[in-house]
Amino acid sequence: MTPLPDLKHALDVAAGDEPRPSDPSADLDRAQAAVRARSRRRFRLGVSTLATAALVGAASVVVLDGSPTSPPSAAAAEVQLVDQQFDAEPYTFDLTPEGWSVQAQMPSAVTIAPDDGSTSDEPHDFQGKLVILFDSNPLTGREVEHDGRRFWVTENPGHTIISTRTVDGEPTGVVRIQYPHDAGWEESSMIEFLASVHVGPGAQHGLG
Amino acid sequence: MRDSERSAEFVAFVRAHRADLVRTAVLLCAGDEAYAEDLVQTTLTRLYLSWSKVRRADSSLAYSRRCLTNVFIDEARRAHRRRETSVAVPMDALGRDPAGASPDLDLRALVLNALSSLAPRQRAVVVLRHWHDLDVDETARILGCRAGTVKSQNARALAHLREFLATADHQLDLEVS
Repeated sequence: MTPLPDLKHALDVAAGDEPRPSDPSADLDRAQAAVRARSRRRFRLGVSTLATAALVGAASVVVLDGSPTSPPSAAAAEVQLVDQQFDAEPYTFDLTPEGWSVQAQMPSAVTIAPDDGSTSDEPHDFQGKLVILFDSNPLTGREVEHDGRRFWVTENPGHTIISTRTVDGEPTGVVRIQYPHDAGWEESSMIEFLASVHVGPGAQHGLG
Repeated sequence: MRDSERSAEFVAFVRAHRADLVRTAVLLCAGDEAYAEDLVQTTLTRLYLSWSKVRRADSSLAYSRRCLTNVFIDEARRAHRRRETSVAVPMDALGRDPAGASPDLDLRALVLNALSSLAPRQRAVVVLRHWHDLDVDETARILGCRAGTVKSQNARALAHLREFLATADHQLDLEVS
């Protein structure tokens, strides 16, 4: 048997030689383009939120006319979930993220992207998107309870993953949502959205 | 922070650390250099978008390695991933001893082939623990799992590497630290 050096040295060799210094301008261009795309998305969200707030405000005037104790609207600078079902076989959802649409559906994942075209057309590129994942990996992170169901929240640079076990009658496993930090979503909304996901019998565990 | 200031800091960071990120990504991707480059580009963009966090980090390099690992794990989750794979060193060099071949080239092919036989998370554990010398707790924090999970993944990964390398008639010093 041929002896080899220790693992650290072997990994150092496997990592290859130091790449030649590259011009950072290409990286900077890509990053600045991403900032511009995010700004456009935020602007559109802001316009949408203002319009919603204006509508809610107008409605409040009408309601307040006869009910001065009505609570203030919760219309905040966050994206809205609306009470509307949609299917992304084998998953179904009781809530719909307004202004977002299913980009890809697979047995182990659903990708949901904003309608403003600010994210990649590549469904496997999750950046800036909502992603529903189904797997059998362990549950880790901060525990949160919502409507008697437990959720686990893991924050990462740029995105957060919330996970929960599937419920009785669904395939056994863990269903997760990954959401970006810069798209206006709040943790509470995402827990609510994840709680609305029903995992159908055709779902299959993905990698993780 | 002004955009020009952020851009200047970003450019300096890329100059200083891009090579490190590429080499880490090459290991995570088991030698698929095109995939590694994709991961690094995505990572750098994410870092720029959250540059204030990079500035606040105790070590910007450690933070960026963490971000890179997360990008890799995200990618590994992709279902039915289909990607044209290109590797820096032909895998069929494994176990051969062609005349004139560099010993490092042989070793590189061998280790990359061994890494490619690991599950993505196990590969990440090996890279973080044994190349970046991170401790169990830090590795667990990066991977978002428990320390016990890191230990078990590490033990399984090393056992698998030993077995793999034994079949390739090589013996690597795999000490569990």
